[in-house]
Formats: sequence, C-alpha cells, structure tokens
Amino acid sequence: MTDKNLKKLEKEMNVCIRCAYCFEECPVIRELGWDSGGARGKVILSYGLLHGEIEPSQYIADRLFQCTFCRDCMERCPSNVSILDIISSARADLVDAGYASDTHKYVINNINSTGNIYGDTEVISPEREGKTPLFIGCQYLSRPNKTKKYIKILEKLGINPQVQKEICCGFPMEALGFRKEFKTHKEKFQKSFPFKEAITFCPTCTVFLREGHEIDAKHVLQVILEKLPKADLGMKVTYHDPCDFSRGLKIIDEPRKILEKLGIEIVEMKNSKEQSSCCGGGGGILMSDQVLSDNIAKNRMKQAIETGVDIVVTSCPTCETVLKKAAAEANESEGTNMVVRNIEDIIWKAVKSI
Amino acid sequence: MKIDIDKLKKIVGEDNITDEIADCYIYASDSSVHQSMPECVIRPGNAEEVQKIMKYANKNKIPVVPRGAGSGMSGHAVPIDGGIVLDMKRMSRIIEIRPEDVLCKVEPGVINDELNRQLKPYDFFFPPTPSSGKICTIGGMIGTNASGIRSVKYGATRDAVIGMKVVLANGDLATLGSNTRVDSSGYQLSKLMVGSEGTLGIVVEATLIIAPLPKYRAMGVANFATLEDAGKMISNVIAAGITPSMLELMDNIAITAVNNAQNLGLPDVSAIVVFECNGMVKEAVDYDMKRIKKICEKNNGTGIRVSDDPKEMTRIYEGRKKLFPSLSRYKEGLVTTALADDMAVPMSKIADCVHEIHEIAKRNNVIMSAYGHCGSGLIHTKILMDTSKKQQWQDAKHAVDEVYKYVYKIGGTTSGEHGVALSKAPSWKEEKKDSLAMMKAIKKALDPNNILNPHKLMDAPDDWVTATDLRYQVTS
Repeated sequence: MTDKNLKKLEKEMNVCIRCAYCFEECPVIRELGWDSGGARGKVILSYGLLHGEIEPSQYIADRLFQCTFCRDCMERCPSNVSILDIISSARADLVDAGYASDTHKYVINNINSTGNIYGDTEVISPEREGKTPLFIGCQYLSRPNKTKKYIKILEKLGINPQVQKEICCGFPMEALGFRKEFKTHKEKFQKSFPFKEAITFCPTCTVFLREGHEIDAKHVLQVILEKLPKADLGMKVTYHDPCDFSRGLKIIDEPRKILEKLGIEIVEMKNSKEQSSCCGGGGGILMSDQVLSDNIAKNRMKQAIETGVDIVVTSCPTCETVLKKAAAEANESEGTNMVVRNIEDIIWKAVKSI
Repeated sequence: MKIDIDKLKKIVGEDNITDEIADCYIYASDSSVHQSMPECVIRPGNAEEVQKIMKYANKNKIPVVPRGAGSGMSGHAVPIDGGIVLDMKRMSRIIEIRPEDVLCKVEPGVINDELNRQLKPYDFFFPPTPSSGKICTIGGMIGTNASGIRSVKYGATRDAVIGMKVVLANGDLATLGSNTRVDSSGYQLSKLMVGSEGTLGIVVEATLIIAPLPKYRAMGVANFATLEDAGKMISNVIAAGITPSMLELMDNIAITAVNNAQNLGLPDVSAIVVFECNGMVKEAVDYDMKRIKKICEKNNGTGIRVSDDPKEMTRIYEGRKKLFPSLSRYKEGLVTTALADDMAVPMSKIADCVHEIHEIAKRNNVIMSAYGHCGSGLIHTKILMDTSKKQQWQDAKHAVDEVYKYVYKIGGTTSGEHGVALSKAPSWKEEKKDSLAMMKAIKKALDPNNILNPHKLMDAPDDWVTATDLRYQVTS
C-alpha cells in the first residue's frame, strides 16, 4: 500500500495525545459506541496504517468512511489536530489500495462523465450574463426551483449574478479519497470557473471553494443580510446549523439575523451554533451507510422536537433532505407535526412581493 | 488459551464483541505512552453480563482489563497480557438521584459532565472535577481515584464514593460500603476499590455523595515574575485558612502552549496562578477573593484581575482544562508524553519542586512543563521530547527517576490523581516498598488467578520504557 497521503501527516498524528475529548458530541461514536466511531479511533487507525502496524482491509475502510465530516471533533480538539485532513488522507490511501466503496466510485464516475454527482446530463446551469460570478453547486443545480428562488432573491436585492456552465467543485473526490481523480478534475474545474471571488449557495461548496481552490467564496446569506428588508412573517422555528456553515465557515449569526429580520422567533436546540449536532448527511455516509445516516438524523430531529416548535429551518439542501426524512418518520411514529424548510423558501416568501 | 468468541457472543450479543485486528489495535492504547493488543473487546450492557464474562475468564485464566474513555495517562487500560478489554461505556445509566439523601447511584460508564447535567435541576453536583470531565467515565475516575481542579475544596473521588456493587474475579457480585455518609462498619472495602485501577474487581454500580451547587463564584488571575513568588502565594492562601474552590498554577511552558493552541493571549511571565472561590453567599465569596488578591499583591503578583462574569470565567476555565492536550503545540517536532505527570508534594514545597523539575529537564535534554492543582499540592508535568529517538526515551527515563527521587525527598508522593499503572510503577514501588507485600496479599486474596488487569501497580515491570511496546515509532 502506498502511504504517501498519510506520510505528510505523521507529525500531526503525534500531536494527538489520544485524550478522547473528540468523543464528546461525535455523532458517529454516539450511535455506534465503539471507539472506532470517534476521531481518536480513526487517527489511531491512520497511524497504524502509515506505519504498517495494521494492514489495510475492508473493515478498516468501513470504519474510516463512518465519518460525517461534521468537524465537531475539530471544534473540541484542544490540540487543534487536523483531523479531517488525516481521515481524508487515510481514505485516499485506502482507495489507492483498492478499498473504495461501489457507491462512492459511482459518484466519482458521475462527476467525471457528466460534471455533476448525479450523472445526470439534465442537471444544467441556468446560464446568464451578470456582474458577480455565482457558483451554484450540484445540490442546488439538481433543485432548479430552489436555485431559481435564490437567483430571484439576489436580483430583487440589486445583485446581478453571472452564471456559467459549471462542473462539480470536486469536494466528493477529496472527501471520499479520490485524490488522483481530483488532481485532474481540479484543472478542469479551474478552467470552467476562472474566478477569484464568487457567491455560493451550498455551504459545503463554499468551504471547498475556499479550501480546495483558494477562491474567496461568500455564501449568499452573507451577501443578502444587509440588503434584506424587514418583514413580519410571525413564525416560531428552530434553526439547524449545517456543520459546514457553523464550524466550517463560522457562519452562525447571519442566518439567525436574517430570520429575526423577517420577524421569525428562533428557539435554539440543545446543541446549536458551533456546538450544533450533525444531521447525518455528510462525509459520504449518506451513500455508503444509510442506516447510520438515518440514525444520526433521528437524533438531531429528537433535539428539534424537544424545542417544542414544529418548524426546522436550515440552510443546506443536504441537511434539508436528510432531516425531512427524519421528520416524516417522527411524524409517523411519534405523532409529531415536524416540518423542515430551507431558508431560501422563507426568504422568498418575504421578498417576492418587492 | 484462545478466547471462545462464540461463547462470549452468547453473553453480550454479537454486536457487542469484536476481535477485529483494527478494533484491538485501537483498544491497545490510551493516553499513555504504552501499547499492547487485547485479543477481543467486549461492551457489556449490565452487571449480569460482566459476571458471566468474569466467570468464563476466571475459569480459563484469561486477563480482563476494564476501560472507560481510555483517557488514562499511565497505561491503566493497556492490556499488557492481551486477553479481554471490557469497554464499560455502554453501562451508562444514572440509576437514581436522591437529593434528600445527598447521593446518587450510577453505572460506571456514565460521563462525569453528563452526571452533572442530570444533577443540576436538583441544585447538586458531583464534586470531583477532572479536566477530562466532558468524556471521562465515573468508572475510570473510581479506578484512578481521580480528582481535578476543585480537589482543593472538595477532595478526590474516594471522598465521594460511599458504596458500590463490584463484580469480583470469580464472577461473584459484591455490594460494598453503604448509603450513609458515615460508616465505621469494619474494613472500608468500597474505598479500597477506589484507586485499585481495575486490579481487584469490576465496578458495575457506584453510590456517590453529591454536593449542593454553589450559587456564586468568582475567578481571579495573577501573574508572577518568579515561580518562587507564585509558590509562596499558593501556600500563603492555604495557610491563611482560605478554602478556594480552585487554585491552579501554570508555568511559562504551559502558558506558551495554551497560547499556541488556544490563542488565549496570556502574558509571557514565569507563572500564572488562577484562583476561584464559590459559595452560597456572595459576600462570603467576595471576602475570600479579596483576601486572595491581597496575598497575591504581598507576593509581588501583577496584572491581578478578578471576575464574576460567566463568559470570562468560562474562557479562563476552559483554557486551563485544555492545557494538557495543548502542550502538543508547544514546539514543532516535540511530542507531549504523559510521564511523571501528577506528583503531589507538601504545599510549602511547590515552588521548590517546580524549580527542580525545570532543572532536571535541562540536565536531561527534555522539556518539562509544570502546572496543576497546586492548592491540593498537586503538580502536573509532561515531558516534551522527540519520541522518534531512542536516546530521548533514555533521557526521559532519567528525568522521571530524578523527579521522583526529589519528590520523595521533600515528602511528596508519586501520583495525586492519575494513578500508577505502568509508567509510574517502578518509582512508586520504591516509594511504597513497606506496603507492597500487603497489597500483593490483597490482590492474591481477591484475584488468585491474577486475571484482573494483571501486571499493573505492584506487579508492573521494573522498566516502564520496555514494559510494553511504545505507541510511538522509535526509528533512530
């Protein structure tokens, strides 16, 4: 097995003193119980793989892919260990050794063949001339009504976005261990999106444009906050912070200020803001470990139900999809009346008459 | 003997046992320097399952090592002889909370902070406050007699444990202690179990004393240009009859590390002392804080500030709690190792001891920080070194030996709160030479087949460097 990806992180793995502080709110270890669920277990496995103390196996690959990339461990790690870098490097080494899952391979092939994660040639960018480059991302492109709403919101608030034919930012390649494929894809991406600044819709793409492509990406909520007029929608909701938002981008106040500006009262969940709990949709487990993903989503929905309000607002299309499923299950099994809505639907309600 | 996994699966269910190499590799280490693989890991769900496992293990003479969060620093949970690791985190029920009796009963896998969250609505808390409280288990705290930041006022775990149910080596379930605060009914066996590091029995339920949650608290910080002044300030506070709820020292290395990792912006001074008082009456808290402030001034403390702002107190408190892991960011290439990490010395000797620790470090070509719950006489040190070099391990070994020789010379003891296990055992055996025979007799009486966490404490190897594999790659 080649160890080149983990090799550069050898010192970083020694910075981890195995204190287990990362266990505190890890959604995976909470669900699975075994130490392999938490970041410490994954760093230990990575260390063992690098030094040949354990041999790569499907079992190890399964453990290392049981991570939602929610960054909760990184928020809590007192040594600031680069945990995600270690896990994604270990994944890359395992993929190189032939332990990629079929569902992940399928997604990567989709990106290579069609430019989007769905492999759907009908997922196309609504190209338009404009002033500010806009990067929409696969998730929003596959939800054309949502994309349309966000673009209209921008227009109504005096922002003129420019949309070009776009391809996936490549985050799934990096996160799922397909680094060789990403190297080639990165060049293609940068040719298709040759900008230094951009407005974005998807929290994960926003993080990756910044970290993977050095683009000064601003999430649309950051852009529209000041321009948004006040409204009185008179709702009471709880807000689910997408992990890439609250921990990846440190965007915590903006969505709350927007909701407050629209006359919406927020009841916070037990874990919110930097300490928000993951919905279970990230890191690839939605594709490779549906049961784990569903169970994590149920735990998050439980927190939402405990707030006593029945509307959950979020600002990520993946979180929305995953939580909607959990809400439907809770509504059926527990008789609750939970509704999950994405923030652009609510903003649109307030600005459509402008 | 090869472990019969199928037989054990019937006891705990197939989802709660693993003999996968990957899992065994993870459970081969904790937060210490040691590494040794178990043959399987089991997550029992109740006392009955633990009894059945122990009966099987005792009959077949298979070692069993209980483990909580695996955050121990001396190798307690490292299975030196292989065998079974019992991951106790699944047994995490809070069985009952009885404020009228000032006690609670919990299973060993309950997390310290979770217990406090459940006690808060009753206006009570569980007094031992280890820095690792967010993840450490009550079982682990009992195993090591953990204490922590507030030990200066509330004591250690042993002071809070009044009873327990414990599964013995032969699988019998014994109820020890009582439900009463006072108990002079013969040998205090529940107290003996505390700090026994899993060598005498597996705790499956603990009866714990709880304390009323103070209504007021205030925190202060003072900077000192010399360690001597900081040490004098600490012993003066205790000698003045003040009982702070926290009295913590950080040396310059610790300050640099926590600034590097946590970006706290602490001043670059020789020492910082953090103090806290709590109580039910604001005036009483303020009175004690003023007295401590005066003692700081008398001992040349500068930049003294006192706050009862919850945000500011949390910032200081969290920074202190994360100090040990932060040390990893002191200097590129140096790794923090938990060695000679928690000696306790008479309060009047704190400054001398910290000074000597720095001298020992210089002599042995390693870096040692000193910080800790000095109000209880407890000093934490860590050795920062290049773990890839054989010579550094010899340097560390010499440094550890010298530290303990000095600690004993000034009337101190090996471990204040982390326990002994493997890394501290060689020196500790020297310190406790008069009681080793008694301890061995107790072990033999309770565990004749030597299956409970064997080869720890008095039975540990005499060289901690070679006691197990080191969990670091040593290449040159």
